Amino acid sequence: MNLKKVNWAPYLLILPSFLYLMLFFGWPMIRSMELAFRRDSQILPLRTEPFPDSATVGKLERGAEVTILDVIKSEESSTGGLLSKKSFWLKISGIDVEGNEIEGWAERGPVFVRDASRSEEGRVVDSSVTVYAEPDETGASVGELPQGTEVTITDWDELEGGVVAGGLLAKPAQWFKITAETADGDTLEGWVKRGPVFVEDTRISTTGRVDKGEGAKEWTLDYIKRMVNDRRFTESLRTTVLLMVLILPVQFTLAIIMALVLQSRLKGNTIFLYIFSIPLGVSDLAAGLVWFSIFTQRGFLNSFLERLGLIDKPYIFISNENKQYIILAIVLAEVWRATSIVMVIVVSGLQAIPGELIEAGQLFGANLWQRLRHIILPLLMPSLQVALILRTILAFQVFAVVVAISGGEVVTVLANETYRWYEVGTYNNPNVAAAYAGFIMLISLGVAVFYLRAVRTQEERATQK
Amino acid sequence: MSAGTVTSTRRGLDAAQRRAIRARKLRRVSVYGLAILISLWILLPIWLIGTMAFSTRADVRSYPKHVAPVPFSTETMEFFLDTEGILTATQNSIVVAVFTLTLSTAIAAPTGYAISRYLFAGRDAFRLGILAVRAFPIVILAVPLAEQFRDWNMFDKVYSLALMHTALTLPTTILVIASVFASVPVELEEAAKVFGCGPVAAFRRVVLPLALPGIAAAAIFTFVMSWNEVFAAILLTLDNRTLPARILYTLDKSGDPFKFAGGFFMLVPSLIFIFFVRRYLFNMWGQITK
Repeated sequence: MNLKKVNWAPYLLILPSFLYLMLFFGWPMIRSMELAFRRDSQILPLRTEPFPDSATVGKLERGAEVTILDVIKSEESSTGGLLSKKSFWLKISGIDVEGNEIEGWAERGPVFVRDASRSEEGRVVDSSVTVYAEPDETGASVGELPQGTEVTITDWDELEGGVVAGGLLAKPAQWFKITAETADGDTLEGWVKRGPVFVEDTRISTTGRVDKGEGAKEWTLDYIKRMVNDRRFTESLRTTVLLMVLILPVQFTLAIIMALVLQSRLKGNTIFLYIFSIPLGVSDLAAGLVWFSIFTQRGFLNSFLERLGLIDKPYIFISNENKQYIILAIVLAEVWRATSIVMVIVVSGLQAIPGELIEAGQLFGANLWQRLRHIILPLLMPSLQVALILRTILAFQVFAVVVAISGGEVVTVLANETYRWYEVGTYNNPNVAAAYAGFIMLISLGVAVFYLRAVRTQEERATQK
Repeated sequence: MSAGTVTSTRRGLDAAQRRAIRARKLRRVSVYGLAILISLWILLPIWLIGTMAFSTRADVRSYPKHVAPVPFSTETMEFFLDTEGILTATQNSIVVAVFTLTLSTAIAAPTGYAISRYLFAGRDAFRLGILAVRAFPIVILAVPLAEQFRDWNMFDKVYSLALMHTALTLPTTILVIASVFASVPVELEEAAKVFGCGPVAAFRRVVLPLALPGIAAAAIFTFVMSWNEVFAAILLTLDNRTLPARILYTLDKSGDPFKFAGGFFMLVPSLIFIFFVRRYLFNMWGQITK
């Protein structure tokens, strides 16, 4: 190419897709690594003893749910003896950043005890307190309560801090809904702000959540450790690999048969081509539901077996005890759905094989199997390799088929765990989810490199011969 | 005597020929049998779930199951479509898919043209990059993109999901469109230039009309890919679910009629669209092996 006259047109034409893929492929890859290896939120150390300087047992992440086992009040006087600080220490247990269950002490402050403020008894400590109809200071008031009145708390509400007049930020306020007896014996019901009502902490709740911690922004392997320690990690990895090992051979055999059938140019070939390609457009979720309808307890398979008289009551294929049938259903669904992609690749590979070669084989009396073994398959190798890499990588992402058939509980796969760790309803931990996603990418990459290496050494061996 | 030998050899030849013809016929029949068997393997499950979708709800729950929608009823299908959120989710799915199709085709078309028509430094690396991107999709991207969209205040928006789906479908669309352009002879374009067309006019008047059906097929395939995609959809949306995400999210709480009707409803567009693009399928995937 002439250096002086570089044609810029093709570069301009590919620029939009290049930029787009950088933004929506390259950048998320980097983000993914950052999520998996970098801590963003603070952590709370748990200590062996209820003192600030005792040894740490482990670290809890912000948002971690904990169980409160014990509570003690410690009084700590500073050196001059002027100030003494009262503090509560909680003995808690929870799942630490690495996914292990740990037990230890933490000061009450950072641990938000969810139900403590729902203690039902309280007392007015200010000189008097106004009771409002709604948890809103600007709203209508219902009455006043004098100092010392015992109140019963029926509900509470936490209001977000907002901007008050003058542009100052208001602190988040807690409101209690209370009922109390007034001096003249009436029952008064309404909302009061937390401050003036002292809530007796007689009963400490047994559950809480880590509200804040210390430190932030550091490189860490905690999320990776947490993923590996996850009780479903090994199981999901094993199932994913098992599915791959079961599906791929069946899929490739069937795909080659389908391609050969299409290649033999029957009458009505176009109809067969259409039928064989239908699964290309079928989503994994739909395929899962289709096969669920066959394997479910009151499904088609049981109906069929019963009509044949092989069983007299429906057999429960999809259950905790019958993992092998769930796996079978998933394998069938995936073979049903994804074989067409391999078939199309094989067909275009077959079309590239010169017809004369096969005819020559025929002429020399090679039967179908010999032609397949010695002419077609070797020439088909490049196509099969591409299909193999593609299908293997996709096999690590199998998701909706598994969820549709098994519900994602009994039998689980890596992609399903990624989803569960991300989902708000379950773990809500994007970092561990990113670790799972990164793991999937890593093994996919590994497999691709392995295949390509294997192909290259094979070719080298062939050329050396 | 000699006459007798002649007839016998002729008869022998006839027998050998007949045997060969019979063997060929037998092979033909067995290939037909195989083709029909495979067709049944593909069609039967679709027929069965279709049967469920068009039976009454009582029939869907009954056991043993019917294998034909008799009596025919749209009750189950109507029940599914009337379920809260299904129509909105369908609408969301269509909006996402149409947005994806438009953006993806608009970005992919020039790139496809460049790859098929120009030899430029870095062309092979770029093609390889696209192939690599095509092989590593959804799961890896969805988590960081969801987080990124939260930061950018774009989370749970229909158009953000479409942006993600565009990234997902772009590599395939580029490769398909490149193969479509490659199938339009360069000579035609050059002839147009000889007759006084500028490069833009030559493209618009000669290449584009010839490539348009193929590009339409690529666009339809993009639509189907977006319509089917569920993993990114369920991670990137919360209230604005697309149809597959909506169905998957409530799967454990749904009864059989909902699941079967939903499964069939998601199948229908693919059945129709694959029919229209079937001629181009090998264009699409043949590319990948070269």
